[in-house]
Amino acid sequence: MDFANLGAQLNAGTILPEGVVILTLLVILVGDLIVGRTSSRWTPYVAIAGLVGSLTALFYQWDISDPIGFLGGFNSDALSIVFRGIIALSAAVTIPMAIRYIEQSGTSLAEFLVILLTATLGGMFLAGADELVMIFVSLETLSISSYLLTGYMKRDPRSNEAALKYLLIGAASSAIFLYGVSLLYGLSGGETNLNAIASNIVAQGSEPPIGLVIALVFVIAGIAFKIAAVPFHQWTPDVYEGSPTPVVAFLSVGSKAAGFALAIRLLVTAFPLVADEWRFVFTALAVLSMVLGNVVALAQTSMKRMLAYSSIGQAGFVMIGLIVGTDAGYASMVFYMLVYLFMNLGGFTCVILFSLRTGTDQISEYSGLYQKDPLLTLGLSVCLLSLGGIPPLAGFFGKLYLFWAGWQAGAYGLVLVGLVTSVISIYYYIRVVKMMVVKEPQEMSDAVKNYPEVRWTLPGMRPLQVSLVLAVVATSLAGILSNPLFTLANNSVTNTPLLQSSVAMTQDAGAPVQLADAEINQ
Amino acid sequence: MNLAEGVQLVSLLLLSAMMLGAALGVVLLSNIVYSAFLLGGVFVSISGLYILLNAGFVAAAQVLIYVGAVNVLILFGIMLVNKQRDFTPIPNAWIGKLATGVVCLGLFALLGAMVLGTPWALSTEAAAGDAAIMLIGEHFFSDFLLPFELASILLLMALVGAIILARREFLPDEDLDQPADQVLTLPERPRELVSAGSTGNTADESGDR
Repeated sequence: MDFANLGAQLNAGTILPEGVVILTLLVILVGDLIVGRTSSRWTPYVAIAGLVGSLTALFYQWDISDPIGFLGGFNSDALSIVFRGIIALSAAVTIPMAIRYIEQSGTSLAEFLVILLTATLGGMFLAGADELVMIFVSLETLSISSYLLTGYMKRDPRSNEAALKYLLIGAASSAIFLYGVSLLYGLSGGETNLNAIASNIVAQGSEPPIGLVIALVFVIAGIAFKIAAVPFHQWTPDVYEGSPTPVVAFLSVGSKAAGFALAIRLLVTAFPLVADEWRFVFTALAVLSMVLGNVVALAQTSMKRMLAYSSIGQAGFVMIGLIVGTDAGYASMVFYMLVYLFMNLGGFTCVILFSLRTGTDQISEYSGLYQKDPLLTLGLSVCLLSLGGIPPLAGFFGKLYLFWAGWQAGAYGLVLVGLVTSVISIYYYIRVVKMMVVKEPQEMSDAVKNYPEVRWTLPGMRPLQVSLVLAVVATSLAGILSNPLFTLANNSVTNTPLLQSSVAMTQDAGAPVQLADAEINQ
Repeated sequence: MNLAEGVQLVSLLLLSAMMLGAALGVVLLSNIVYSAFLLGGVFVSISGLYILLNAGFVAAAQVLIYVGAVNVLILFGIMLVNKQRDFTPIPNAWIGKLATGVVCLGLFALLGAMVLGTPWALSTEAAAGDAAIMLIGEHFFSDFLLPFELASILLLMALVGAIILARREFLPDEDLDQPADQVLTLPERPRELVSAGSTGNTADESGDR
């Protein structure tokens, strides 16, 4: 091996966005070490600036000519760029809502930011990882930092319980995932690069070996844990209820996006021989997630638990795009994740704001909020209605695109289940809106009666207000002005060679698929 | 069969018997300290298997990491929290044990059938032996450079996280605007009213717990 030219071969520029994040987290860590507790005045803004810098670096990588970095270990193609962007953006939106929350609980902010940035870093590397070792190390970086974030409120027994549950179930699922990955390594004759694995397995014969099916099942178990698909969802409600709410916001968007990126890359690249099988398994997971997530959400009394089940249901919708495997399917996944980022994070911002002011997250305590805090009511209503898919908000177009792509590809059953369950979901979202808006003053809950005066001047409240307004504006406008997002999602799919070859293969196989020109809005 | 092969076979059988016996002991013994020590025995036997496979570096790493770090940590954990307490026997516990046994046996049968039925792509090259260290080093600085470096970030973060979990917190004084029992807890009140400070109007409907 020629070590002299190694520096040039590595193509290290592909991980520039991640490098910016690493630099930011080191600055925060060392700065906090030197300055002490007063560092909380500037660390969040450094973190946001770093993430924005990382997004900028991602933007300039869009048309990179040679996306493969680190001798095949990392792939910076358009798909990974878009998912890395989603993960970095979700972290950047999470930080402003965390400042006040963390300050009020008396924990230190800088360490929280460091762990959050590490989780972001793990997710970003996972979205581009093209090799088994890299996939596993970045998956563990994401998971272990998520466990730490979950248990951050260490004197609260709920937080301890959540962290322990997440750690135990997560470690078990990581072990299962690792076993499946090791089977892939063995089946391909000692390859770790995903493309080499696929070509080696294909070269051995047309009949898929039984080991490949078992590897597939184990790998799916690991992925489904990360995206919280039923029946691998048991950790979700308890973890969401016990974690600090900003962490829940990050887990429900950033961590899920990383899981979906891993699912697309790993399944499409390494398992072409058993494509029908994994599509079938994911169909089952999608149906179960949509039905169970949305039905159980009806019975929840706690807002965080309701959003937990709703996020399970939403993941089910996104899986439709993965299952159909057309251009439009993948593009609708990306588009829905983008839209979901704004509406879900907006919803969590409102939940944080309410719980900071009243100290509760029971749904019944929201009644009559309209009289006391119109801005919060408006924000929460817009985000929840968008999650439910009410036009003309962004969520409606996201769901429309997903269902349209599914229908085009002939997945009629899935789309029907999706339609029915999204009608169910509208019920529980509207229930909260109704609770806030239409209650008479005498029906006001005690928490709202004792509602403190709205003061945005308290330390850490201004960023919360900014992120609330941003999320509401994005959620309402991304529906009507969604063309840039559509274009972004479509370009990210058409510019990715990996997805193009897989789409072509699906069509050669005679599946009832029409290449869809994705211009359904306007 | 010459002498070397015979020695190899005998040591393979010996190590396997040691490993299986120790592993069964880990699962079946009721005293958790014995289980932890037997786990060390399992790890040592596995490293013996690695030596038989001509992978000396992996064997050394196995002893250093699993016996030296993981197992010692487990023992520390047990000895720090070990409270002598007698658990009341659960009625019909054998059903659960039987179900677990059946599931494990089924999984074993499935994996066994898979291992035997799959045409593994075996490498024909001779094992690297003692040159493995150099090969591993080359991989670490060429195609596995990125995961190798990312692992350093992971370790840094694990260090920070461990300190956060273990350190003594500086609790703010009472005269601040929040009572001390709210420090380091979630701002949301728990659903069951256990804390004395709250005024007590949380809806007591229990969800699906």
